[in-house]
Order: sequence, then C-alpha cells, then structure tokens
Amino acid sequence: MKILRLITTLIAGLSLVALVEAKDHQGKDYIQENGYQGPATCEVCHPGTAQAFLGTVHWKHASKVNHVENLDPKQEYGMKNRVYTMCNGNDIVNNLKEIPPSPTTGKTKFTGCNTCHPGNHLQDVGSTGPEAEAAIDCLVCHSTAYDFSQRKPYKDAQGRVAIGQDRSTKAALAIGKPAPKNCMVCHDSAGGGALVKRGFAFTAASDVHAAKSMVCVDCHKAKDHRIPTGYDPNNWAHDGVRISCSDCHSEKPHKDADTNRHTARIACQTCHIPRTGGAFAKDFTHWEQLSDKFYEPTTLRKETNETTPVYAWYNKTVANRPDFIGPKGTRKDVRSKIYPFKIFQGKAYFNKLDGKLLSMDFAPPMATGNTLAGVASAANILGIKNYVPVPGWQTIYFGSNHQVAPKDKALTCYNCHAPNGSLNFQELGYTSKEIKKLTSPETYFNKIAEKMREEW
Amino acid sequence: MRKVLPSSIALALFTASLVTICSPAQAAEVKMIATIERIELKEKSATVTLKDTKSDKHVSVTVNDDLTLDKLRDKRILEGDEIRLKYDDATGVATYFRKTAGC
Ligand code: HEC
Ligand code: HEC
Ligand code: HEC
Ligand code: HEC
Ligand code: HEC
Ligand code: HEC
Ligand code: HEC
Repeated sequence: MKILRLITTLIAGLSLVALVEAKDHQGKDYIQENGYQGPATCEVCHPGTAQAFLGTVHWKHASKVNHVENLDPKQEYGMKNRVYTMCNGNDIVNNLKEIPPSPTTGKTKFTGCNTCHPGNHLQDVGSTGPEAEAAIDCLVCHSTAYDFSQRKPYKDAQGRVAIGQDRSTKAALAIGKPAPKNCMVCHDSAGGGALVKRGFAFTAASDVHAAKSMVCVDCHKAKDHRIPTGYDPNNWAHDGVRISCSDCHSEKPHKDADTNRHTARIACQTCHIPRTGGAFAKDFTHWEQLSDKFYEPTTLRKETNETTPVYAWYNKTVANRPDFIGPKGTRKDVRSKIYPFKIFQGKAYFNKLDGKLLSMDFAPPMATGNTLAGVASAANILGIKNYVPVPGWQTIYFGSNHQVAPKDKALTCYNCHAPNGSLNFQELGYTSKEIKKLTSPETYFNKIAEKMREEW
Repeated sequence: MRKVLPSSIALALFTASLVTICSPAQAAEVKMIATIERIELKEKSATVTLKDTKSDKHVSVTVNDDLTLDKLRDKRILEGDEIRLKYDDATGVATYFRKTAGC
C-alpha cells in the first residue's frame, strides 16, 4: 500500500542517520579477518551478485530501448554509443585514453567518457566473464569510507590505461546501502563539471526529500542491481524497472479537490519542481583554453535553481532527430501530461551528406583545440569514410525530476491561471477562447480569497 | 503626458535600493577560477590555499559547508584540482566551491 510505503520510507529516512552508523554490515568480521579481495570477498556471502551486476545499465551503459523513435529495436543504446550534444563523444569514440601532449606545455592527461563506469577500464563497459566480475568496483557505491582519489586513470606496467579503485580493507569495512555521495560521484559530474548535465543538487535546501534525510536509493530501490529510472526523454538505457512519484504518493494526494483534479493532465513535477538548472548551451565546435592550456568545450551554465523549466505535453515516447531530442505528445493524446523540462542546446558538427550528427573523440581538441581533428578521429574509429562536417545546433529536453520544492513553493492556481503565468497555454494547444477562460482569475478567485482570509 | 513607471523599472529601483541598504554590512564577494595548492582539514572546517589562474595570486579560504567538506575529506576534491570559487573577502569564507572539470 502506498501510505504504508510512504510511512516506511519516512521512518527509514528519519532513523537512517543513526542506523547507518549503528548497524554494522554483517560481513564486517569476515572482512576484518580476511581483508578485501574485490567482489570475490563479497561473493562469499552474496553469491551471484557480481554476475548479475554485469547485466545492468550501470555496467553496460546500454539496453534495448523501445520508447524512442528512429532506433533499431534489436540494438542496444546508451552512453556507450549514443551521439548527442550534451556529450558529443561516447564510450566508444571517446574511450578513455591519454591525450596528445599540449603544444604549449608538453603535458598530457587522460580523458574519456567511460571514467563514469564502475570497472577498471581493462574490464570496460559491457565486458563479461570472470575477469569482468572481478573488476567491479563494489565499494564506489557501497562504502562510506571510499578514498575517491584512488579512482583515477593511470598507465599500468604494460602501458594500458586503467582506472584505479579503492580496494582497501578500511573502505570494505564501511559497507552500507549507497549514500547520495556514492551516486553523485558520477551523477553530479556528468556533462563536463559539477551539476552541469542535469543540474540538480540533492541537499536539504534544494529538495524536500533530502530535507527528510531520504537518500537516492530510498526512491531508486534496486533489486539485483537493476536501478529503476523514469522517462526523462534523454535517459534511454534502463533495466526494465521504473519509478514515479506515485510509487509512494497517491495520484490524488491533496486535501484540495481542485488540485487533485489537475493530476489527470498535469504531472506532479510540473507543480512541485518549479526550478531547474545546469548547462543550457554548449559549443563543441569551439573549445576554450583553460589556465592549464588544455581545451574544454565552451559551456554556458546556470545555478541549480536559476532556470525556469519549459512545459510540454509528454506521453513518455521520445522524438529523436538530429536537431531535436525531446518529448512527444499532444493535448488531444489522453496519455500525455504536461511535464517540466530543462532545455539544453548544443552546437556540434553534422554530416552534410546525410544530415546526421557526428561524434567527437575529445583527445585531439583537448590538446590543441582542433575540433575537426576530433571529428576525424571519431569517424575513423566508427569507419565513417564520407562526411562533410557542418556546424549546427541540436535542442535537447531534459526531464526535471528532482529538487522537489517545499509544498508552499509549489505552483498554485494564480501561478498558472494568469496572462503571464508559468504555462504558455497557446503553445500547449489551447484555443484563444479557452485561454481567455484559463487566464482569468475567475478560475480561482473565490478560493484564494477565502484562503487568504483564513491565513490572516 | 505622465506615465506610470513601468513595473520592471520600479522593481529595479526597489531592488537597487535594497542592495544599497544592505551593502555596508556585506563585504565584497570575490569570484575566480583557481587551482588548489593546499588543503588543511580541521574538525568542522578546512582551510584551502589556492592560486588564482588569472593573476597567479594566492588566496586562502575557509570551507565550512558540509557538502564541500565531505568532498575534501573523501578526496573527491584534491590538490591540483581547478575550482570555481566565490568567497567573502571580509571573512575569507567560501560561498561557492566547485570543481570546473567533469567527465
Ligand atoms: C561473511 C558474510 C558477508 C560478506 C563477506 C559480505 N557480506 Fe554483505 N551482508 C552480509 C549479511 C548477512 C547481510 C544482511 C542480510 C542481507 O541483506 O543479505 C549483508 C548485507 C549487505 C548489504 C545491505 C546493507 C543494507 O544496509 O541494506 C550490502 C549493500 C552488502 N551486504 C554489501 C556487501 C559487499 C559490497 C561486500 C563485499 C565487500 C559484502 N557485503 C560482503 C554478509 C556478508
Ligand atoms: C561509476 C559511475 C556511476 C555511479 C557510481 C552511479 N551511476 Fe548511475 N549512471 C551512470 C551512468 C554513466 C549512467 C548512464 C547510463 C546510460 O544511459 O547508458 C547512469 C544511469 C543511471 C540511471 C538511469 C538508467 C538506469 O540505470 O535506470 C539511474 C536511475 C541512476 N544511474 C541512478 C544511480 C544511483 C541511484 C546511484 C547510486 C546508488 C548511481 N546511479 C551510481 C554512472 C554511475
Ligand atoms: C552503481 C552502484 C552500485 C555498484 C557498483 C554496486 N552496487 Fe550493490 N547496490 C546498489 C544499489 C542501488 C542497491 C540497492 C539499495 C536499496 O535498494 O536499498 C544495492 C544493493 C546491494 C546489496 C543488497 C542486496 C541486494 O542485492 O539488493 C548487496 C549485497 C550488494 N548491493 C552488493 C554489491 C556487490 C557485491 C557489488 C560488486 C560486485 C555491488 N553491490 C556493486 C548499487 C551498487
Ligand atoms: C524522492 C524520490 C527520489 C529521490 C530521493 C531521488 N530520485 Fe532520482 N528519480 C526519481 C523519479 C521519480 C525519477 C523519474 C521520474 C520520471 O521520469 O517520471 C528519477 C529519475 C532519476 C534519473 C533519470 C534521469 C532523470 O533525471 O530523470 C537519475 C539519473 C536519477 N533519478 C538519479 C538520482 C540520484 C543520483 C539521486 C540522489 C542524489 C536521486 N535520483 C534521488 C525520484 C527520486
Ligand atoms: C520512495 C517514496 C517517495 C517517492 C518516490 C517520492 N516521494 Fe515525495 N515524499 C516522500 C516522503 C516519505 C515524504 C515526507 C512525508 C511527510 O513528511 O509527511 C515526501 C514528501 C513530499 C512532499 C511534501 C513536501 C512538504 O513540503 O511537506 C511533496 C510535495 C512530494 N513529496 C512530492 C514528490 C514528487 C513530486 C515526487 C516525484 C518526483 C515524489 N515526491 C516522490 C516519499 C516519496
Ligand atoms: C496543479 C498543481 C499540482 C499538481 C499537478 C500536483 N500538486 Fe501536489 N501540491 C500542489 C500544491 C499547491 C500543494 C500545497 C497545498 C496543498 O497541500 O494542497 C501541494 C501539496 C502536495 C503534497 C503535500 C500534501 C500535504 O497535505 O502535506 C504532496 C505530498 C504532493 N502535493 C504530492 C503531489 C504528487 C505526488 C502529485 C502528482 C500525482 C502532485 N502533488 C501534483 C500542487 C500540485
Ligand atoms: C501548473 C499550472 C496550473 C496550476 C498550478 C493550476 N492550474 Fe488549473 N488548469 C491548468 C491547465 C493546464 C488546465 C487545463 C487542463 C485540461 O486541459 O484539462 C487547467 C484547468 C482548470 C480549470 C478548468 C477550466 C475550464 O474552464 O475548463 C479550473 C476551474 C482550474 N484549472 C482551476 C484551478 C485552481 C482553482 C487552481 C489552484 C488550486 C489551479 N487551477 C491550479 C493549469 C494549472
């Protein structure tokens, strides 16, 4: 039952701080005695865990995708192979490597999309078998004492590029369910910097659930490491499990019947997540030089709460074209609801011959700023022989599903039913006659007047 | 003909007046991109010395928000990292402290 789940979550949340410290992991004595030998140690008591993990999105960075247009239903898609303008590279073309030396300083560094993978790069995205199982970094998600400075790329004795892990017994003695920082070590640095990609902070000040001491996995409860997700138009790969606000709350959670009536056509997020943030535009055709003389894609960003979302109908199927990735849906389509989105626009090279977006290997431009060399390297990796690169823009709609504001900051009647309100009724498909009605105080006047009388 | 003040200007004036009223109490906020040279962790705060990438000047700031402190403790932020930094130049307390780079 929903109420039950809500209450359990809340109780678990409130007591969490105490519990995590107090309730020791039951494998602790064993690990103390035998040390930590990687997943094999965990397998002693949690058999099959590593193998199951290899089948998940967090290991494969891909899955079959059936809600996005213009894809092959037999193929798998994800950060492994996607080409879009938030990250113009992917695990394949922008595979972790040492970049050419900077012509100015002679220094090199490592870069690659697959640094956000809980393997060691020698066992990379989507690898299988006993060696892959042994390479999983269980502790990056499960230890509260993880030394993150160990998780950096280096060259091993054979000159192969690997990613380090903290496999110390100290870290393995501090096991629990993942804390927000374990998730955020990857999720808040995606897209080229802190809070750039999705632009959501998970702090007491920014989210009512965080304020109640809830953590990511209170909502993203996982079984067999299949972490549930929703329908952000830009999150394609999934493990077949979904979450939504109404897993815990009901579809009609308000005392007020007028507000409850709106949930038929308006998603919870629309009223409850009034702000978003992060990067809103990026240029992959011109990289800017940083103080260390390396180059980065030029990025325009805002704070996590500085962007007003754009609202659009969404039926949980996704438009996917070279110039646009975003929600499909209309007012007429009864499966559609109005959702909030963060709009991001990215400039990159498109192939004039077929109109498709080209991808980029970041190593060349990072060293020299030469972005066309990055495109050439990616084309070479993918075996694309004929292409004519022309710069162009792509618009992406990111779902806005976190940073739930305190209830008194939720959008209410007069935020929407006003001529300069939060929603653009015309773009949402309402007629002039309807708009006249929808933007009139008539819709809420008596109700709000009464509320104000009560409050004062 | 007399016009009513457009609300945007009225708001701007109002905001400006607020800022003026408040400003004597507030010190200037300094903004820079800087590289971490040294991190000294204490019980409830950290003192971080950085080098401004534009001027090469050294600054020392106090970090006392829990989220950043935690990142310093478990070494998600390290010496050598480049930081987008804002701090209050009267107190030396960092109000914004984030790594510039990401994957
Ligand atoms: C000697 C046995 C043993 C070993 C070794 C062991 N565990 Fe456990 N672990 C347990 C038991 C028993 C539980 C509690 C029952 C359960 O949830 O299955 C548990 C629970 C857990 C939980 C759930 C914690 C919670 O608070 O919800 C996680 C996560 C976990 N273990 C991870 C690991 C990892 C990672 C390793 C390897 C570093 C490991 N375990 C090694 C016995 C062990
Ligand atoms: C090692 C880096 C890393 C860590 C740690 C990590 N993630 Fe992810 N996560 C990713 C990447 C990369 C993707 C994108 C995969 C794709 O789209 O191909 C992803 C995707 C997701 C998704 C959407 C796809 C799915 O799996 O359903 C969710 C939800 C998610 N992560 C939640 C979490 C939570 C919760 C935690 C903490 C328990 C966490 N992640 C820890 C890297 C990480
Ligand atoms: C990407 C992050 C991530 C990695 C890496 C990871 N786990 Fe987990 N693990 C989770 C999440 C999320 C849960 C579910 C927590 C919940 O629902 O409360 C979980 C739950 C568990 C549990 C509790 C029982 C269960 O299966 O739900 C065990 C045991 C466990 N993990 C062991 C491991 C071991 C062993 C490894 C390495 C082979 C590992 N984990 C790697 C995120 C991760
Ligand atoms: C209060 C519950 C809740 C908490 C806490 C929460 N999430 Fe989510 N998350 C959701 C819901 C609900 C969705 C999907 C909504 C939809 O698409 O309808 C989601 C979606 C996601 C996605 C997919 C992309 C997107 O933004 O839609 C990722 C990645 C993710 N969450 C990561 C995290 C991480 C990391 C944390 C902790 C820092 C976290 N979540 C905390 C409820 C939560
Ligand atoms: C895992 C369960 C869970 C999920 C999923 C979840 N919530 Fe909550 N939510 C809670 C709990 C628990 C509380 C605290 C209830 C209380 O204090 O009575 C809460 C509180 C709230 C509140 C009240 C805030 C206040 O100011 O009192 C709002 C609004 C809310 N959630 C909206 C959402 C939205 C929107 C989503 C989807 C993005 C969502 N929740 C997803 C469990 C959940
Ligand atoms: C049309 C805007 C709107 C929509 C849509 C909406 N809410 Fe609300 N919600 C509000 C407002 C305004 C409040 C604060 C006043 C109140 O409690 O009625 C609120 C309050 C809440 C509360 C706190 C209730 C309490 O009594 O403390 C929760 C929980 C909540 N909403 C969850 C949801 C969920 C879950 C959905 C989606 C099923 C949703 N809301 C959809 C506007 C909305
Ligand atoms: C997030 C914006 C939003 C908020 C907040 C909101 N509404 Fe609405 N309202 C809408 C939309 C959109 C419709 C049209 C829904 C449809 O197409 O079925 C609507 C429809 C209505 C209608 C029916 C109008 C008609 O003649 O068809 C009434 C009455 C109404 N709202 C009153 C309220 C009241 C009272 C509140 C506050 C408790 C409120 N609304 C809050 C967006 C909002």
